[in-house]
Amino acid sequence: MTAITESMTQKLNAAFEGRINWRYFLQDNVTGSWYLAVWVVVLAAATVAYTINQMNVAPLTTIIILILWLVGLGFAIANGLFKKRTAIGSWLKTNLLGSVSNAILSLLLVLILAAAVRGIWSWAVTNATFDPELTKPEFRNPDGATWGVIPGAWELLMVGRLDREALPRVQMALGYIVVLGVISIGANVAGYLKKIRPLRSILLGLWAITPIIVYILLAGVSAEGDFINSKTLLIGEAVVVGLFLLLWWQRTVKFSVVNLVIWAAAWPVAYLIWRAIGKSEMFPPINVATWGGLMLTIIIAVSVIILSFPLGMVLALGRRSEIRGIPGWLLWPVAAILALWGLFVSTPSILGDIRNQADYVLAFWPILILGFAYLLQKMFQGNVVAAASTTFIEVIRGAPLITLLFMAIIMAPFFLSEGATLENVWAVIIGYSLFSSAYMAENIRGGLQALPKGQFEAADSLGLNTFQKMRFIILPQALRIVIPAIVGQFIGSFKSSSLVAIVGLFELLGMVAVIVSNPQWLGLRKELFVFAGVIYFIGSAVMSWYSRRLEAQLGVGER
Amino acid sequence: MTMNVNANEDVIVCKDVHLWYGEFEALRGVSLTVKRGDVIVILGPSGSGKSTFIRSINRLEEHGAGEIVVKGIPLTHDVRDIAEIRREVGMVFQQFNLFPHLTVMENITLAPINVRKWSREKAEETAMKWLTRVGIPEQAHKYPGQLSGGQQQRVAIARTLAMEPEVLLFDEPTSALDPEMVKEVLDVMSDLAKEGYTILAVTHEMGFARGVADRIVFMDYGEILESDHPDEFFDNPKHPRLKLFLSQILHH
Ligand SMILES: Nc1ncnc2c1ncn2[C@@H]1O[C@H](COP(=O)(O)OP(=O)(O)OP(=O)(O)O)[C@@H](O)[C@H]1O
Ligand SMILES: [Mg+2]
Repeated sequence: MTAITESMTQKLNAAFEGRINWRYFLQDNVTGSWYLAVWVVVLAAATVAYTINQMNVAPLTTIIILILWLVGLGFAIANGLFKKRTAIGSWLKTNLLGSVSNAILSLLLVLILAAAVRGIWSWAVTNATFDPELTKPEFRNPDGATWGVIPGAWELLMVGRLDREALPRVQMALGYIVVLGVISIGANVAGYLKKIRPLRSILLGLWAITPIIVYILLAGVSAEGDFINSKTLLIGEAVVVGLFLLLWWQRTVKFSVVNLVIWAAAWPVAYLIWRAIGKSEMFPPINVATWGGLMLTIIIAVSVIILSFPLGMVLALGRRSEIRGIPGWLLWPVAAILALWGLFVSTPSILGDIRNQADYVLAFWPILILGFAYLLQKMFQGNVVAAASTTFIEVIRGAPLITLLFMAIIMAPFFLSEGATLENVWAVIIGYSLFSSAYMAENIRGGLQALPKGQFEAADSLGLNTFQKMRFIILPQALRIVIPAIVGQFIGSFKSSSLVAIVGLFELLGMVAVIVSNPQWLGLRKELFVFAGVIYFIGSAVMSWYSRRLEAQLGVGER
Repeated sequence: MTMNVNANEDVIVCKDVHLWYGEFEALRGVSLTVKRGDVIVILGPSGSGKSTFIRSINRLEEHGAGEIVVKGIPLTHDVRDIAEIRREVGMVFQQFNLFPHLTVMENITLAPINVRKWSREKAEETAMKWLTRVGIPEQAHKYPGQLSGGQQQRVAIARTLAMEPEVLLFDEPTSALDPEMVKEVLDVMSDLAKEGYTILAVTHEMGFARGVADRIVFMDYGEILESDHPDEFFDNPKHPRLKLFLSQILHH
């Protein structure tokens, strides 16, 4: 195409000397090859036919478009032929009217676009009704949208079947996030984040506890204290103190008695606060099974995004780990002993109690131990961490999300202690996060792979330990490389959260299905799907805009 | 520098070091003893195992048999020993391997702060001292990508020196540089040699080898074939392959 345009320019440039060569012009634009000729002829015929058609449907618009097109053509020709170079002429020529076929195509596409806009406009605006009271089938205009369904079903779309008593709490959660977001962005734009150090820490801290606040508001705290009891108190204390020691060992925190006391007190204090919130009955529990609509979409998407990222990072590092594997001389005897033990103990007992044909095969399962040992040694040199990460990633990636969602709900009870139950929402969030983390791991691994070996070697030769090497050298660079991929995955997680409708959770699209089966709004699919589409688009656009910004921000000093 | 207190002490002792890449034996019994303050240049044809050898001294490659002892610490699988040795042995690479996402200052202070556990002030002070030494104190707050090759390599040297290692390993530090930048890097290396650092350098810079080295080691096919004082090495080569090598590199 460019070649054609260029040589045409040359020919046309020659034209002010009155030497325009029509033979060359035709050759470039029409007769150059037989398929070009066919293309131009077919295009011209289609355009003429469509123009005549549009003349009948909407004469005024069509005539305006035709006039504009002819004027544009005039500019472009003047530009080429008579040395009359104008900005608009040059722009038209390079972008729309560069050759005969481009000129025709431009006209055709503008006409089609005009028809489409006209159709959408008449459906969405001219013939539409906006009154929420007039949504019943008998009031509808068949040629126009019934937008009244959106305000009419607003609460259903936003929160689903959530108890309306709890609405103020949803608004509080939303308000908290919006206010925090506005302050953060404002402070960032105004440059206060860099100037006032504590502000940054405070904002980060508030963001860090946001999930807890949102949980308290949207799920509530029961007076009994839920899962917080003396056992979890002890375990939590151990984890917190362990974390402190780990950070101290990594020299991220200073060791002092005061510090230790503060850390050690953190968990019990949190526990007391939690109990106090529960006792105060300010935020009585809400049945999470009633969550729905956009709120549920956002809860699932954000949870999955927050959980899958660190999990994916661990899996990616695990898959690449080069720890010393279990040596063969140890693995083989252990595997052999286990297999023999199984064959002598488990196999006879299964064979003794045969229920069906498959049991004959199943009975010899201990042989599998040898198989696994073989794979572990052969493929991973006995590196258990790499083997486990790789297996997890590949198994998860080998299963469709829907299967995993069903599995999460059906299997959850098997992992819980007797009598405990797990709400489907949590099961779905866990299952979905595991799914997402496998893909996240592969994305991050791509970034790790892209780093030159020299970066690892320089870090090693300086004496940095593995944690420091990852924290300061490898991850900052690797993650920057994969920001587009990671954000792409976040956007995917956001949109695919609509799949949870299949396991009976009514997120945004699930609610749309419920709403259109309501007699009052029966069949108002188009309006609702357009609305849902706009919401998904806004969410995705914001994420991709932020990703580009982040990329630019982190690109400092990059070659 | 007060490094010569215990001159004549063996800083690096390699005994019959073998190293395999899969089936391929890249080092076939390398033995070398380096005393404190020695400057040793390693020469040899491409693929002879020079890089492999000096990289095995700080465990960037893992030797399969034989013994490497650095400052009395035997190099084993023990990560604490490896960490200890890496604190004492600095390395400068052909491709600089600066961290592109950190400023020059951050590049230099990262390891002293996190490995040596110095305060930021002390680390930055030391970093400035070294940057001044290699002649580019004004570049401290730039990113590596904004520097010339020669400047980058000098930053890399400053980064290595800031850890205060006793032994310096150079793997063809000037090979990726344009000719006019080679000298600025070689000058820094000569100064370091004079100051008493123990240096093992792989380089093709014959002038540096002849003028600065205490000893030149010739490697081929993963073995040390000759090891001698520079004058003797160049003027009176004994091993036929060294003669061939010298005739190839010196006669054009
Ligand atoms: N990671 C590796 N895997 C397999 N073989 C390797 C690897 N690294 C090096 N080798 C081989 O080991 C031998 C020695 O390589 P080495 O890099 O030490 O050579 P060199 O003397 O430094 O050469 P040059 O002057 O080209 O840098 C070469 O034959 C090389 O092909
Ligand atoms: Mg080399």
